[in-house]
Amino acid sequence: MKARLRFSPSIVSKTIISDTIRIFDINFNILRADISPKGGNMLVEISGKQANDSILHMEEQGIQVFPIKKVVKQDEEKCIDCGACVSLCPVNAISIKDDWAVEIDNQTCIGCGFCTFSCPTKAINVME
Amino acid sequence: MKTIDEINDKIKNGDAVVVNAAEMVNIVAENGLKEAAEEVDVVTTGTFGAMCSSGAFLNFGHSDPPIKMNKTFLNNVEVYSGLAAVDAYLGATQPNENPEIGSSYGGAHVIEDLIRGKEVELKVEAYGTDCYPLKKLETNISLEKLNQASMVNPRNCYQNYAVAVNSTDETLYTYMGTLLPNFGNVTYSSAGALSPLINDPYFQTIGLGTRIFLCGAQGYIIGEGTQHATEADRVNGVPVTPSGTLMLKGDMKKMDPEFVRGAAMPKYGPTLYVGAGIPIPILNEDIASRTAISDQEITCRIIDYGVPRRSRPIIRETNYAELKTGKIEIDNMEIPTSPLSSIKKAEEVAELLKKWIQDGEFYLSSPIYKIPSKGCTVKPLEIKKPSLLVKNIESKPAIIVHPSDEVKNVASKLVENNINHLPVVDNKGKLKGIVTSWDVADAVAKGKTLLKDVMTKKVIIARENEPVDVIARRIDKYNISGLPIVDEEDNLKGMITAEDISRLIGENQNKKGGE
Ligand code: SF4
Ligand code: SF4
Repeated sequence: MKARLRFSPSIVSKTIISDTIRIFDINFNILRADISPKGGNMLVEISGKQANDSILHMEEQGIQVFPIKKVVKQDEEKCIDCGACVSLCPVNAISIKDDWAVEIDNQTCIGCGFCTFSCPTKAINVME
Repeated sequence: MKTIDEINDKIKNGDAVVVNAAEMVNIVAENGLKEAAEEVDVVTTGTFGAMCSSGAFLNFGHSDPPIKMNKTFLNNVEVYSGLAAVDAYLGATQPNENPEIGSSYGGAHVIEDLIRGKEVELKVEAYGTDCYPLKKLETNISLEKLNQASMVNPRNCYQNYAVAVNSTDETLYTYMGTLLPNFGNVTYSSAGALSPLINDPYFQTIGLGTRIFLCGAQGYIIGEGTQHATEADRVNGVPVTPSGTLMLKGDMKKMDPEFVRGAAMPKYGPTLYVGAGIPIPILNEDIASRTAISDQEITCRIIDYGVPRRSRPIIRETNYAELKTGKIEIDNMEIPTSPLSSIKKAEEVAELLKKWIQDGEFYLSSPIYKIPSKGCTVKPLEIKKPSLLVKNIESKPAIIVHPSDEVKNVASKLVENNINHLPVVDNKGKLKGIVTSWDVADAVAKGKTLLKDVMTKKVIIARENEPVDVIARRIDKYNISGLPIVDEEDNLKGMITAEDISRLIGENQNKKGGE
């Protein structure tokens, strides 16, 4: 599953993540991270048998965990299916369907924002 | 064979056979050309692409007291009002007056907002005359309140277009969209087999007065477009480089916002996505065979946009069938492709035009004169003062350092000469890197002593045969104070600084637009 983790400043310096990975034997993939002394934000992908337990553990340790279904939102009104974004996505999350409609797969998307910047009609927004 | 009048009679009776250009490919393949030419009356085409050369003539009506508009703005985008008193031309690529908004809301967006029926703020300045005394005006207008709003696009519907790729190691932001470094992606901008002028490559049926689909309304071709060209190499009758163009006109009051869109190419500028479709009457077998062209049969050229010159290098030829697979091969690399024009919308245009004709809402017209199919070439703009090349400027011999130098010696060289950066060269004089005072400070802090461990190896350079204006853009883009000049073999030839450049070309940069 994909989740956004929020750290308060007091726990930024602790080794909660590495402990969690070790205890629960999970696959933990950091897709994006912005960490500063003021606290931090991480977009991660967690998988493994004990994924749910690991999340409970992180919450106990003071990390706020927000599961996310959508990393980006494609505004259907604005999108003209031009396809300009398709070849720009570093993880191939954007594809052209048989009817030439352009679709973004939120499961693959890492929220890098590259398509957002390059879309001529500003139809894609990274969700916060 | 058939005449346009005969086809119009069939449309009136509701029994005209109308198909779109993609369907025509299969019909000819299955039934043969002869039968298809007899059977089919009209082939509809469509495109929905970024067409920068677009705009609209607006007439605002007279205020009381009247004004002779001199400087005119719609939602803070300047429109050209140097024609009569209350006429103006709203150009699609005009950026916003506010540099922070720049291209994210420009002329194209105003056009879209007007067609959507939105209110738009009008601001005018004037110098005042006896008959037009008013000198300032601020009000709101909408499409409904305007006397006329005629979209007149000087150059639309390019017959074929270049395919873009970028060989350099930096991302480029162009009118062909974002081009990733090192051949990272390929962009193309033609609807291929559906594209209007590809289906009548010699303009046998198209000309001044041809009634067309323009942005969801009935519009007209009013002549060849600007930069119309006919002499390019052809494959299967279709020019392999951008060639024929059209000038189009339509009534904005009748247009549908579904088929027109204000857009912005990042760091390039605003542009208008225009939906246009041309019906091609199948008058004989030759015309029929042209409309049966498939994506596979339309050749186009991949051009390296990494070279910012008038003639850019050709990487290879390809065709739209290959481009539309989503991947293309260059030098054994598989590269993802992006269409920039919406093929989905192009299909919608061709389908809607087909429906109009089938429903008897749209009749074909005979052009008064045909678009020329030979003898047109595009002349370049020769600059009186030829563009100055880097090798023509007198640069001071560069003060150099070597990778094996010690950092403390480099530091004193920087201080002695009162400069910020030094090129690093090897024993043969080849450029190996650059070192700045910041690198030196960083090295001292980290206790590093050898220059080769602290220098920046990726250097932004100027080649001897590049125009100085291109270097000026580079200095601007990277916000740097100077860069080394090298020859073909990477031998250091000197340094060029921002001051050298501004002395040479002067400070007249237009900061509007941009982001
Ligand atoms: S670039 Fe924007 S408008 Fe074009 S397909 Fe992607 S999301 Fe849609
Ligand atoms: S945000 Fe990045 S990863 Fe997600 S779809 Fe856009 S380009 Fe791909």
